[in-house]
Amino acid sequence: MSIINKAIEWGTKKSPWIIHFNAGACNGCDIETVDSLTPRYDLERVGTLKQGSPRHADVLVCTGAVTLQTRDRLIQIYQQMSNPKFVIAVGTCACTGGIFKDCYCVTGGIDSVIPVDVYLPGCAVRPEQLISAVDKLLATLDQDQKKKETTTSEPGR
Amino acid sequence: MNLEDEIAGKLCEKFPFMTDKIYVQKEKRIFTKPLSRDEFEKTIRYVHDELGFYRACHVVGTDDGDSIGLLYILSNKDSILLILRESVPKTNTEVTSISDIYPSIVLHERELVDLFGVMVKGLPDGPRYPLPDGWPDGNYPMRKEWNPKNFNKETMTYQQPQETEAQKNG
Amino acid sequence: MVESDNFGDNRIAVPIGPQHPSLDEPGCFDITLEGEKVVDAVIGVGYNHRGLEKVCESKTYIQDLYIIERVCGICSHAHSTAFCMGIEELSGLTIPPRAAYIRVIVAELERLHSHLLWLGVACHEIGFDTMFMFTWRNREKVLDILAVLGGNRVNYGVNTIGGVRRDLDETLTSQILKTMEMLEEEIKYYVELAHTESTLISRLAGVGKLSKEDVIHYGAVGPVARAAGIEDDIRVKEPYGAYKEIPVHMITDTNADVYGRTVVRILEMQESINIIRYCLKNIPDGAISVKAPRKIPAGEVIIRVEAPRGEDIHFIRSNGTDIPDRVRVRAPTEANWHGMKHMLEGGYLADVPITIAAIDPCYSCTDRAIQLRSEKDTRVLDWKELRQYGINFYKKQGIDISTLSAGR
Repeated sequence: MSIINKAIEWGTKKSPWIIHFNAGACNGCDIETVDSLTPRYDLERVGTLKQGSPRHADVLVCTGAVTLQTRDRLIQIYQQMSNPKFVIAVGTCACTGGIFKDCYCVTGGIDSVIPVDVYLPGCAVRPEQLISAVDKLLATLDQDQKKKETTTSEPGR
Repeated sequence: MNLEDEIAGKLCEKFPFMTDKIYVQKEKRIFTKPLSRDEFEKTIRYVHDELGFYRACHVVGTDDGDSIGLLYILSNKDSILLILRESVPKTNTEVTSISDIYPSIVLHERELVDLFGVMVKGLPDGPRYPLPDGWPDGNYPMRKEWNPKNFNKETMTYQQPQETEAQKNG
Repeated sequence: MVESDNFGDNRIAVPIGPQHPSLDEPGCFDITLEGEKVVDAVIGVGYNHRGLEKVCESKTYIQDLYIIERVCGICSHAHSTAFCMGIEELSGLTIPPRAAYIRVIVAELERLHSHLLWLGVACHEIGFDTMFMFTWRNREKVLDILAVLGGNRVNYGVNTIGGVRRDLDETLTSQILKTMEMLEEEIKYYVELAHTESTLISRLAGVGKLSKEDVIHYGAVGPVARAAGIEDDIRVKEPYGAYKEIPVHMITDTNADVYGRTVVRILEMQESINIIRYCLKNIPDGAISVKAPRKIPAGEVIIRVEAPRGEDIHFIRSNGTDIPDRVRVRAPTEANWHGMKHMLEGGYLADVPITIAAIDPCYSCTDRAIQLRSEKDTRVLDWKELRQYGINFYKKQGIDISTLSAGR
C-alpha cells in the first residue's frame, strides 16, 4: 500500500467524517442520529464530525426506506463520496424497508440501491447503537479496504 | 340554537337546495351530501365571503366506486368545520380549483390530480405533488382498482394481470 | 448541495437540497435572488412520500396504528392519538379517564421535546451552537421519561385502540416532577434570553415576516399562526380527551416573524410543564384501557388534535370490517408550507436557513415532491457555507451570536 493510501486509512480510522442522508424516513432515526452528536453521547470525541458535503465524508449514515424520489439522489451522493467510503443503514426501514416495504413509492432498504456495510435495525435506533456501529465499522476497515479500492458506479443489490 | 345549527340555517335560507343536503354530524362538524358543480361553486364563495369560513384545511379524495368523492374541509374562527362534498364520475373528473379563494389548498388539489386523477382546472403553475418524476401517466395509486402488486418499481410500469385460461373459459 | 445558476440579469437561482445538513430532511427550495434579496421561492418537498395511506387500506386498524405512528418520529403520539380517537368515536367507545390523562401527559412531554429540539435547531441555524448542545442535553431528560413510560425514546407507542398500553407508577411520577423542576429553571433562562438579549433579537426580529392577514389568507396553523396573534389552538378551541377538564392557557404573540415564533414556542414549553403538573396532581385512578371491537362500524369521522407543529387532521372512513376504507392524514406542516414562500420573499439570502427552520417543518408529515431546475453555468456552494454566509453577514453588522454565553 502506498504512503498516501496508508495516510488515508489512518485518517479514516482515527477520525471518520460522516454525512447524514434521509432517504424517506419518518425522522425518528434522524433525530437519534443527530442526538449522537450532542453532549450525552458525543460521537465527536471519537473524531467523528458531521459534514455537509458528500465530498468531505467517509461514512454515509442513511436513514429511511428509499422512496422513488430519493433513489437517484442517494446514488448521486454515494458516487460523490471519495474512496474509501462506507455506508451505515440506520433503522429497520433502512435495512429492509420495514413497515413501509409494501408502499408503492418505496423501493426497499438502502441495499436495494447502494451497497451497505453496517445494518442497524431498530425503530428508532438508539444513539449508543450508532456509536457501536461506527466502532465495529472501523475495526473491520483493514479487511474491507481492498473491496473499496474501485468506485462502484452501478447500484448494487 | 347552537352555532352549528345557526350556520346550517343560514345556508338553507340562502340556498334552498341545502335543506336536503346539509346535516350537523356532531359538535363542530357540519357535513353536506354531494353537491353539484354549480351548487358547490355558489356555496364555497358564500361561506368564505359571508359566513367567515376563512381557512380551507384540506380536501380529501375518496374512491367511491364509479366516482371520486371530494370533501372540502373549511374552518372558521370558532373552529367549526364545514365539510362540503362533491362527487365526480371517474369518466369525467373535471373540477375547478378553489385556490383563488383559498390559496393554501393548492398543494392538496395537486394531490388529487396525482393520486386520484382528478382534473383540477385553474391550478397555478407548479411542480407535481407528491408522486416522483417519471411516474407513468394514467396511474392513480389511490384509486381502488390500482393494485400496487402490479406496479414494477424498477421500470416504473404498471402491468395488468393476465387473465388465466380458467378465467377466460369462465 | 447548493448550486447557483447566473441568469445574467442579476438574478441567481439557488436550488437548495434535497440533502442539506441542517435540517437532515430532504426538501428542495428553488430561490431566485436579486443581489442579496430573495425575490421568488419555490418550495418543494415530496421525497418522503411513501404511499402509506394505500397500505393502510389493506391492513387492519391495529396494524395501521403502527404505521400511522410512524408518519413522523417527532409528533408520533399526536398522530396515533388522533387515529385512536377516530376509531374510538366510530365504535362508540369511551376510554377510561386515567387513559385520557396519560395521553395528555405524553402529548405535553412530546411538545416539550419537540420545542426543545426546534430551539436547538434554530440556534444552530444562526450560529449559536452552544445553545443547540444545551437544549438537546435538556431534551434527553424528557426522552428518559418517555423511554420509561412507553418503552422507547422515539415512537413510544403509548396508545392503543381503547386507551393506553402503559401506566404511571409512583417512581415515574416523582421522576417526571423532578425533571419538570429542572426544565422550568432552564426555560426561565430561555425566556430571559428571548426577551433581553439584543443580539438574538436583532437576528430574529423582522425576519420571515408573515402578517396576520397573510397568515389567515395562507391558512397557517400552530405556533406560526399564534405568533401572528391568531387564536388557533385545538386544545382550547375544540378540547378533546382530558383537555376538556384541564386548563390550558393559549400562548400568542404579535410579532408575526421568526422572533414571535421563538417566543411562542418557549412560553409553550412553560405551559406544557404546568399542564403536566396539573395532570399528575389530578389524574384519576382506574383502568387504562377498554376492550375495542375488531370490526369497526361503518361511518366517517374527522378528528383534530394539536400536534407540536399545529393542527393535525385525520379523516377515517370505515365500512363495517376490520380494514379501513380510507385513511387520510393532514399534518400541520402541510398547512404551513404555502406561507413559507411568502416569508422568504423580500428577505435576505442570509435569513433563508432560519426562516425555513422557523415553521418547524416536518418533511415526513408532509410527503411532498419537487424538481431541481437544470443549471447552465454552475457555482457550487454547500449548505454549511450558506449557513456560515448568514452568520458572517450579520457579524459585519455587529450582530455576533458567538459572543453569547449559554448561561450554565
